[in-house]
Amino acid sequence: MTAVGRNGTLCFLAVAGLVLGGCATVPSGGQVVTGKPAERSERVDDPYVRLIPVNPRPEWGPAQIVSGFLAASASFDDDHKVAKLYLGARTGWNPGLRPSVTVLASRITEPQVVRATATHATVKVTGQEIGTITSDGQYTASPRALDTSFQLAKTSQGTWRITGLPGDDKTGLLLSKDDVERAMRTVNLFFFAPDHQTLVPNGIFLPVVNRRTLPTQLAQALLDGPTSWLNGAVHTAFPTGTRLRRGVHIDKDTATVDLTKEARAGNVEQMSAQLGWTMRQLSEIKRWRLQIEGKPVAPDGLEYTQPVHAWDANSPDGQVPKGEHHPNAYVVSPSGFIGTLEGDRAQPRVIGAAGRLSRPAVAPDNQELAGLSAEADQVFVAAPLTGSPPPRLLLTAQKDARFTAPTWSRDGTLWVVESKKDESWLWLRPRGRPPVRAAHWGLGGREVRAFRIARDGVRAAVIAHIDGRPQVQIGRIAYAPGGTLDVGSFLPVSSELQDAVDLAWRDYSTLAVLGRAQRDSQTLPFLMPISGSAITSLGVGSLGEPRTIAAAPGAPILIGTRSSGKDQVCRQRAPSNSYSPWICPTPAKDPDYPG
Amino acid sequence: MRFGRRALREARRLLRGTVKSGYTRWRRSIQVRIVTSTLFISAIVVAILGMFLMQQMSSALMDGKVKAARLQLDDGLAQVQRDLGNSTGDGSRLNSTIERLKARSGPSGLYEVHIRDTTEQYFDGYTTNELRPESVPRRLRKELKNAPAGSRAYTYGELSYIDDRPSERGLIVGGKTGQFELYYLFRLVEEQRTLTNVGRSLAGVGIVLVLLLAAIASLVTRQVVIPVRLAAQGAQRLAAGRLEERMRVRGEDDLARLARSFNDMAANLQEKIGELEDLSQVQRQFVSDVSHELRTPLTTIRIAADMLYENRDTFDDPAVGRSAELLQSQLERFESLLADLLEISRHDAGAATLDVESLDMRDLVLRVVGDIQGLAERKGSKVVLQLPGEPCMAEVDRRRVERILRNLLVNAVEHGEGEDIVVSVAADRDAVAVAVRDHGVGLKAGEGQMVFDRFWRADPARARTTGGTGLGLSISREDAQLHGGWLQAWGEPGAGSQFRLSLPRVAGAELRGSPLPLVPPGAGDARPLFAELEAGE
Repeated sequence: MTAVGRNGTLCFLAVAGLVLGGCATVPSGGQVVTGKPAERSERVDDPYVRLIPVNPRPEWGPAQIVSGFLAASASFDDDHKVAKLYLGARTGWNPGLRPSVTVLASRITEPQVVRATATHATVKVTGQEIGTITSDGQYTASPRALDTSFQLAKTSQGTWRITGLPGDDKTGLLLSKDDVERAMRTVNLFFFAPDHQTLVPNGIFLPVVNRRTLPTQLAQALLDGPTSWLNGAVHTAFPTGTRLRRGVHIDKDTATVDLTKEARAGNVEQMSAQLGWTMRQLSEIKRWRLQIEGKPVAPDGLEYTQPVHAWDANSPDGQVPKGEHHPNAYVVSPSGFIGTLEGDRAQPRVIGAAGRLSRPAVAPDNQELAGLSAEADQVFVAAPLTGSPPPRLLLTAQKDARFTAPTWSRDGTLWVVESKKDESWLWLRPRGRPPVRAAHWGLGGREVRAFRIARDGVRAAVIAHIDGRPQVQIGRIAYAPGGTLDVGSFLPVSSELQDAVDLAWRDYSTLAVLGRAQRDSQTLPFLMPISGSAITSLGVGSLGEPRTIAAAPGAPILIGTRSSGKDQVCRQRAPSNSYSPWICPTPAKDPDYPG
Repeated sequence: MRFGRRALREARRLLRGTVKSGYTRWRRSIQVRIVTSTLFISAIVVAILGMFLMQQMSSALMDGKVKAARLQLDDGLAQVQRDLGNSTGDGSRLNSTIERLKARSGPSGLYEVHIRDTTEQYFDGYTTNELRPESVPRRLRKELKNAPAGSRAYTYGELSYIDDRPSERGLIVGGKTGQFELYYLFRLVEEQRTLTNVGRSLAGVGIVLVLLLAAIASLVTRQVVIPVRLAAQGAQRLAAGRLEERMRVRGEDDLARLARSFNDMAANLQEKIGELEDLSQVQRQFVSDVSHELRTPLTTIRIAADMLYENRDTFDDPAVGRSAELLQSQLERFESLLADLLEISRHDAGAATLDVESLDMRDLVLRVVGDIQGLAERKGSKVVLQLPGEPCMAEVDRRRVERILRNLLVNAVEHGEGEDIVVSVAADRDAVAVAVRDHGVGLKAGEGQMVFDRFWRADPARARTTGGTGLGLSISREDAQLHGGWLQAWGEPGAGSQFRLSLPRVAGAELRGSPLPLVPPGAGDARPLFAELEAGE
């Protein structure tokens, strides 16, 4: 009995020891635990860096005060509290959250005192201005030399303070390019195209004061309406005077947007689509709730709390097909037909005379085909898209003029630019009507190499010769009050390419461009974000002499090249991987996706 | 106010009562004592152990964090060294460096970064995200400022932010390379949460452990205390005379041994007491038998002696007549001695029975006093009666009470030295009492109890031939006890003595007090030299 009891106790102690020992160690095996990938692809709420300003020192002279002020004005902390310390008592200067900014190429290092008395001084600053950001966030490139001056006075305490800022603008900042890149983010606001269905992104610069106020700033900017660039080209669903009742409140991953009573007159579905698309740029917001005067409202077919990824029907890319079902590209086969690319083989669709057109473009509804003659001096259309439809001549170019590849907008309008060495004209042909020339064409005095309408139908990307080299620019299509068409306000997207051959819209925020980067000697495909961020090269491997590029949302990028006298259509081996090598399995040319 | 004070008093009383009862329990019960002390000591031990564990865990966590932080900082410093070298960095190069360093910062990241160029006078470097530069404590900056190049330092502080987030505790490591100072600021929220969780778990486990220990102590002491209690109960019953009481023996442990020894002891005791009882039984029987056996020859002797006595005048020799008289008197004395012996042996055998009837004590007293009057007069004593006006009824055995009273009176007359003898009677609701007071030589200290012993004599020199049998007071006391009453004596040398008989009114009822005082009023000083209390004790 006793012996058994003792053995039992020993057993118990051994088991307890094992269990405790097991608890106290780090596991060395076990099942595989899976997790979702962190969705942090957007740049908007990535980590950011703030400059820490210093207070003015009493012993600083006028030039040092100006330097300190210029440095401190790059800090948005506490509503420019430190920068305001550099100002005299009566100097009203309040940049606020949406300041207007003069962007300089580099920091102003050497302010010069041009005139100084015992109590007053004038300090001149010089620098290289590269552009301006207006208070609505629109950036405009304006390269020129900056030469401006500050007025300073000595206070009763014997310290120098700024009493006069350059210009009349009481909100202006002088920031270097680095300061702007650090302190501001480019975000998209979304507004409706004239069809009231498709959203159009409007990129703006927004200062990052702190991450918590970013949703409020974003919603506020959306309510403020489109920037001057898109004004007149897009609609907003928010009635005039709509404001935020209070800041956007975020609880876990749900945001609450509370609008003033003016919003009652607006279309709830359209307002929801605009807000949803704008707020999905912030990764911490997964769902959101719309309130008017504190009362929640629900759009048709959705609950009060709606996911930010609802409203895909209003995508700026149109209806993006899900999964692998992207539209088939059309190519021109050397055998004399235009066919669809199925797998790596071209299946004939249009044969005969229409099948021999170059740069074919298929309408979004797959009903009509437009193409150029071999010399690109004539534009033909053909319908239907089977058999051998007769090509109809639409336009013939003037002497020495060439047409760019035709492009279709979503409503079935055909657009093409006729361009000479230093002149160009924009032609458009609404469906069922004769072609007309656009009344206002912003690049009338320039040579245009490529012209592509975005899928939202409001923006257009061009390659135009400016200052002797081809440049990728974005313009917008607006209708003047009289109903006349205005295609203009072209702005450069990126200055990283020294040459560009062709471009296509990959999605609403990215262009696929064939071009040559600053230090390259070869023409290569690049992805160029509209926001002006850095371009990224696409794929590796030799492409011969690339001539045309085709892209569509969710579809592989196709490149038409010519190498050793043969036309080939190239694609990436694994289109989902941007470093995947290029392969050219299809003998054809001029690939293009419909629409 | 008054009510409040009363409530306060009430509460204090209640508290005192609780404390007192708790203290009583603590004193009375080993179990309560052991459980309380186990609770107390184990709580202290567990608390110390818990604090020690927390300390260890906290320092281990912090050590790990500091190690990781220094590695990260070294990484960052190497990056700064690579990017900026010892060159006078203009703002844009510093900017691009921190752009690279920020990748893992932010609320979801590991740390925040603060970098500054000590030669730059127009701004104080850069920080990531919402971090305020004040988060780097001045003491750390000073330490780094005075330290040689390439040194690193760390401290703990509060991280504050420019948005309305509350400040958080953090670990701040800093290093210097060339003119640049680089600080990494790690939030300690996760560590704090881990420590809080562990602390809570430890506290819970500690409480459970202490309670468990108390329960174990209670269980263990119960196993010891219950047999001890049983033994105590057994001993109590044994002491109360239940000699057949035994303890249950279970198992073979020490407690079983205790029970067995106890049982052995009880058995021995029972045996010895039985033997003694048997022996005294035999003795009593012998006395009784002897008395009975002596009666028959005595009767014959008596007849012969009577005859001799009647014819004493006929003897020629007067000395013979004188012998016949002496024989007669000694025979009477022998007879009464025999009768007393028989009576006392009846009492010893428990064969004495009460033959109660309701009587007025005054009548009994008057009759006995009448009987004794002649003797008293011969001795020159006067018997003074102090009787109450109303009847003093009591259920008593007439014969026995008369015998007691006669005994007392005869004693009083004999030792009364011719002084007055006072007989008083009194009654109350439950009892009646008769006191007999004489003013003779009295009793010496201790004699008040001895007077009731068998064959005790106040003056050992006095001849056996005179006086009573020496059993009278013993028998009287037995008779009184048979009624459930008391017979007590008081005396002082030179002040006389008093005997008091107290009887319950109802036969067999318990007597609580006597209507008469044992010490006569006005005798000696107020404090009696000795007073014999209950005769039963």
